[in-house]
Amino acid sequence: MERKEEAIRIPDLGEVDEVRLVGWLAASGSRVELDQDLLEVETEKTTFVIPSPATGRLTHGEVSDGDIVRRGDVVGVIEAGE
Amino acid sequence: MSSRAAHLDLGRAPYAGVLDLQRELHARRCRDSIGDLVITVEHDPVFTVGRTGSLDHLLVAHETLTREGITLCEVERGGDITYHGPGQLVVYPIVDLRQRGRDVKRFIAELEETTIRTLRRWEIAAERRTGYPGVWAGGGKIASIGVYVKQWVTRHGLALNVDISREHFAMIRPCGLDVEIRSMVDLSSRRASMDEVRDVFLAELADVFGWTFETTCLSEVAG
Repeated sequence: MERKEEAIRIPDLGEVDEVRLVGWLAASGSRVELDQDLLEVETEKTTFVIPSPATGRLTHGEVSDGDIVRRGDVVGVIEAGE
Repeated sequence: MSSRAAHLDLGRAPYAGVLDLQRELHARRCRDSIGDLVITVEHDPVFTVGRTGSLDHLLVAHETLTREGITLCEVERGGDITYHGPGQLVVYPIVDLRQRGRDVKRFIAELEETTIRTLRRWEIAAERRTGYPGVWAGGGKIASIGVYVKQWVTRHGLALNVDISREHFAMIRPCGLDVEIRSMVDLSSRRASMDEVRDVFLAELADVFGWTFETTCLSEVAG
């Protein structure tokens, strides 16, 4: 059966280029559902919760809490499937 | 074109109960079972600490808080420790940003603009400072802003100091910074009552956001 990987990207939040990664809300290796809360990022005035783009197994990328990430950056993947 | 938004005034209320209410209304807004809503409230004395905040910036012992009747509450918003209490207008917009261009920065700028316009009505010149959240006037901070966005719906919001206790603010390093705190009554010769400031703020908010407000009550919006 074909396994499809779906990238977790920092979304376009409007005129915001960089955000700080606050922390993951789901463990690497765990199964997550589409639209489940995955991780929090923040600007100086806003905390934003990024939802899962797919159902499947979550793998965190090479990022740590406190890292500055940019719009479009891939911070993890979901291996889609049952 | 103006759109409708509801206004819910809670008068004076403890922080924790209003936080629960925000979460409930946020969930209802995410499900689209209510429309955009703005809560106004004046809190009982409370220090709140954001996810990335530190209790190191609380400068007094917990016994002092008990004696002064101040509670401590950890919250999911970004940012460090801050104070809410009587004499501060707190505004919690529960707004779907998908209908406002999915632009978090613009939403914050519109809250700041509303605050600056409100202060202008009391002849207080206020400004934004790059790198320092909130609204500043008279060499100090007069309003704090901190927003939480989940499923593109906002909660938390803004706190404008109308006539706030300096003694309570002196118990913390607000937002982890050595900042002076200002109230409207310090900077204007014109009397600033909470009722009038709230009414003016809502009128400016309606103008900036393109809203027409309808007053609502808890039984209409909460489950």
